[in-house]
Amino acid sequence: MIDEEYRGAKQWSRDKQAVFTVIWISFLSAAIATMVFFALFDPVELSGYFDEELDISRDAGYAIGFFFFWVLCAFCSGVTAFLVRTAPKRDAKHRRQ
Amino acid sequence: MSKSQSASMYESAKKIYPREIGGRFDKLSKLATISLLGLFYAVPWVLWDGRQAVLFDLPERKFYLLGLTLWPQDFPYLAVLLIIAALSLFFFTALAGRLWCGFACPQTVWTEAFIWMEQFTEGTRSQRMKLDKAPWSFTKFRKKASKQFLWITFSMWTGFTFVAYFTPIRELGAGILALNVGGWTLFWGLFYGFATYGNAGYMREQVCKYMCPYARFQSAMFDKDTLIISYDEKRGEPRGSRSRSVDPKESGLGDCIDCQLCVQVCPTGIDIREGLQYECIACAACIDACDSIMDKMKYPRGLVRYTTEHNLHNDKTRVLRPRMFIYGTLLVILSGALVTSMAMRKPVILDVIRDRNTLYRELPNDLIENIYTIKIINQSDGARRFALSVSGIDGITLDGVQDELLVDGGGVLSLPVRARAHRDNAYGVSEIEFNIEAFDDASLVMSEDSRFLGPTL
Repeated sequence: MIDEEYRGAKQWSRDKQAVFTVIWISFLSAAIATMVFFALFDPVELSGYFDEELDISRDAGYAIGFFFFWVLCAFCSGVTAFLVRTAPKRDAKHRRQ
Repeated sequence: MSKSQSASMYESAKKIYPREIGGRFDKLSKLATISLLGLFYAVPWVLWDGRQAVLFDLPERKFYLLGLTLWPQDFPYLAVLLIIAALSLFFFTALAGRLWCGFACPQTVWTEAFIWMEQFTEGTRSQRMKLDKAPWSFTKFRKKASKQFLWITFSMWTGFTFVAYFTPIRELGAGILALNVGGWTLFWGLFYGFATYGNAGYMREQVCKYMCPYARFQSAMFDKDTLIISYDEKRGEPRGSRSRSVDPKESGLGDCIDCQLCVQVCPTGIDIREGLQYECIACAACIDACDSIMDKMKYPRGLVRYTTEHNLHNDKTRVLRPRMFIYGTLLVILSGALVTSMAMRKPVILDVIRDRNTLYRELPNDLIENIYTIKIINQSDGARRFALSVSGIDGITLDGVQDELLVDGGGVLSLPVRARAHRDNAYGVSEIEFNIEAFDDASLVMSEDSRFLGPTL
């Protein structure tokens, strides 16, 4: 009944973990940011504020806002993850102590 | 390499093939899956007063919740609701461990449904493993294709049901049948459908292991009295295989026959016998697996069971402990506040802002004038007419205000008004009160205090 092959259920690589975690956490953050932001501002009024000619529907406004927040949050957590993971190891001096 | 393999999120040859197991907790989990998914797919179809009962109408910027209509200015309710949800999660985690993960999390629930479709088309665990290893044939193609067909259809249905929480479902359904769906609706339907397909079909418990923050900080909510799924090491060890006729006490073995079934059924691929691990989503499949073996061996059930750390060490489990009281009290206070404030929520908001630029103006005939901005927010569905009046000073009147103020449903009326009073009655600072009364409902009266400034004596 022992199934040796099964025991090899392997982990994701560190890179894959980082990429998917960044995507997912920034998705959640962007969802919250979008909710708060559009509770306060109506995209139709905003589009008139930037440019009178600009005619953006509410649907498009929400979508643009959401993806803007998603990219922003992904950038933020992506750079953080990158810096944490590529930080220099302890230098020789500290290692000796 | 097959399509499903190349898209697989698992390292290809080491895909997890969770073994299906029946049992008490499997029944419970099926029940949870069916009722939660049923709710998700059914709720958008429910009507209330001739309109969709639950509809977050983003294009119109209003939320319908049964008899209630919420506007963007009601956002604080949503914020409090989210805090209550988070607190309940803490409360139930401290009490009963990861019940949420095993039975109620959308990730678990949809994964379960996708595994059913997989079993239906490709068969049991060993059949699936054999199928993946086998060279391409017509049968393999037929099985794989029908699985994909079921998965994709179900994903699309899920995606458009999700959209139906934001767009009226009857119009949406008609639009889909006529192949005439708005661009953004189509986009979000496909987006959410694809996310369901990827998450439930391929990523599955990898999401819990690597991407879920809750799994990592749950240990902060656990203590020795939290209900966990655990292997009873004292009873099980030393583990070892034996024939059914051997009395374990004589052979010096524990009750664990090392059959590995608990490991095979685990969707996250851990061995529960190594102790509590953060990968464990508390699905209880290992309990069912072990119970079935214990029954066969005629040993008592519960070698792997729901228990607490105190219980495992023969101590008493305390359900009532300080953290339960703290979480519980916070929950009761917040829920009470939310319910009260929603019950007391008036369909109309009246706001009065005194003009800050001028103190007062002196008019002919010894009249003093103050300027205010009146805001009437009508939170009901239909348009309403209001009468505006002011009181607090003898003979105070409003100038230039119509007898009937019309405010659209969900609309805001912003109105500059001039209040006038005779100077004999208005020296110094006087407290005044603005009132509105709805024409269609005499009980709907709102008042708001303000100040009237006049010359000093």
